[in-house]
Amino acid sequence: MNQHNQSFSGGVFHPSIPGGRAGAEITINRGEIIAYTQCDGQPVFSIPINQCQLDLGGASGRMLFCRTPDGQLTIFSEDKHFAQALDLHSGGLLGNQINTLKRAVRSESKKLGFWILASSLACALILFIGYFAMLWAAKATIASLPISIDEKIGKLALDSMDVGKRLDSAHPASKLVQSIVDKLQPHAAIPNMKFKVIVVEDPQVNAFALPGGQIVVFTGLIREATSAEQIAGVLAHEMSHATLRHGLQSVSQSLGIVAAIQLFVGDIGGLVALGAQIAQQSILTSYSRTSETEADLEGARMLHAAKIDPQAMAEFFGLLKEKEGDIPDAIAWISTHPQHSTRIENIKNHQKSFPATQYEPLDLNLKEAQEAL
Amino acid sequence: MRHEMLCQPASTAVQFKLDQGESLTCEVGAMIAMSSGLSVQTTSKSRGGGGGIVKGLKRMFSGESFFLNHFTAEAPEQTLLIGPTMLGDCVHHAMRGGTVIVQGSSWLASSPDIDIDTSWQGFTSAFFSGESMFWVKCSGQGDLFLSSYGAIHCIEIDGTYTIDTGHIVAFEDTLKFNIGKASRSLIGSFLGGEGLVCKFQGQGKLYYQSHTPPALGALLGPKLKPK
Repeated sequence: MNQHNQSFSGGVFHPSIPGGRAGAEITINRGEIIAYTQCDGQPVFSIPINQCQLDLGGASGRMLFCRTPDGQLTIFSEDKHFAQALDLHSGGLLGNQINTLKRAVRSESKKLGFWILASSLACALILFIGYFAMLWAAKATIASLPISIDEKIGKLALDSMDVGKRLDSAHPASKLVQSIVDKLQPHAAIPNMKFKVIVVEDPQVNAFALPGGQIVVFTGLIREATSAEQIAGVLAHEMSHATLRHGLQSVSQSLGIVAAIQLFVGDIGGLVALGAQIAQQSILTSYSRTSETEADLEGARMLHAAKIDPQAMAEFFGLLKEKEGDIPDAIAWISTHPQHSTRIENIKNHQKSFPATQYEPLDLNLKEAQEAL
Repeated sequence: MRHEMLCQPASTAVQFKLDQGESLTCEVGAMIAMSSGLSVQTTSKSRGGGGGIVKGLKRMFSGESFFLNHFTAEAPEQTLLIGPTMLGDCVHHAMRGGTVIVQGSSWLASSPDIDIDTSWQGFTSAFFSGESMFWVKCSGQGDLFLSSYGAIHCIEIDGTYTIDTGHIVAFEDTLKFNIGKASRSLIGSFLGGEGLVCKFQGQGKLYYQSHTPPALGALLGPKLKPK
């Protein structure tokens, strides 16, 4: 490109122009900055480069002003190549001035960058705090709701679920499980919660609690257990889910905070149905890791209070660990259930905080129940 | 095209005399009266086809309308009367190249050769100046008519000048403005009722208005009965 023919759009300030200002096409030629105006008479203005004083400004902050030393004439342009061309044509005369301006621009953009970073960090912090504040608010809201909501959600969820073949309540296995629940019930965190056990024929070694106190136990679990205390351990864990109201917490997290607030304010009917649906899909299969740990510890407390050795719960996890093997660490970290070994450790540590008690073995015939299955 | 300001300054209207073939681009709804030999064309484009939907949308962001009205005289000696929405003054600014940045809603009319675009003024300006985030950018050569709420004043700045937030009508792009405190201490600034101010720097024209619509709103709002 021929540098001498390069022209930049800009303007001129001079007292001789009507209104003091006119738009102009600017070129740099033979050591002069020349502005060809478009106003009446089309006057031409020029500033020798060696007398030029540079300044930055304008609405964008990137407009380059060239002034005569007396300040009478100013030629300006916002073209980003203008400064470059000036530097090139000045033969180093304006180098210092241009460098000073460049530094000013750089420090300003650095300052801007700092503010952008600082404000985005502040936004992130507010969001972060807001999220936990809302979780806390949801928890507090749930604590203030009546248990009847848990019961409604639990009942609806169970009614619409196909759990499998239920054992008769007169079945020895059902009787065994119910008598353990009856023993644990007085020590539950919510004294008036009605616990009801349903034993379902299924080879899975599993049990789950529904909001409101209904507990489903699979026959696989009863078969695998080596002592009634182990079953008591699992039941205490599941009962704790119900008394700690983890079901409603998951519902509120799934429905969002808005729904939790709506629950608090009123309009419960529709939410109960929706809650039941969500309960079925998510809660029962996976509570959060925090909820699982909470239920472990609360379960251990219940067992201790009922004079059943909480060690049985740890024992059962040990049994599961033997059967399933521990989940590889990396996966366990993201999976919802804590590692069996971590759970055993937690229960053992928690047990140390309890006052020493003489634990009593359960007077129940597990063998008979297992044989009846 | 000749123009005359009528009923200045409280309820100014601008009267134009247009010769055959001359035209004027106006804000939508600005027309008060006109003679029968004028044709009106409403588009989102500038006259001559520049712009279009995108520019129209950008204009909406700045507080102007999506559409523009182009009035063209089809007979000699036509009269057109236009006025602003709010009570206040109008001013004529002769553009000889260069750019004028106009606060949204203050642009009233301009010659068809003037390009009307929107420019981004940044978050800080918008949050603290009480102005819009987008401004109307008028560039080219011709006549530009601005409206204000209350009286309008023009000042030739050469150096620095301070103006209260919300009072800016328009300024030439050779001026730069920053938001700053009115007095040295921030508390003093607020106690003095001035709070934050706009500090202009550079050389160029600045138009400002004597009153601000939000001030009226703040005064009236609490006294209005809820519906």
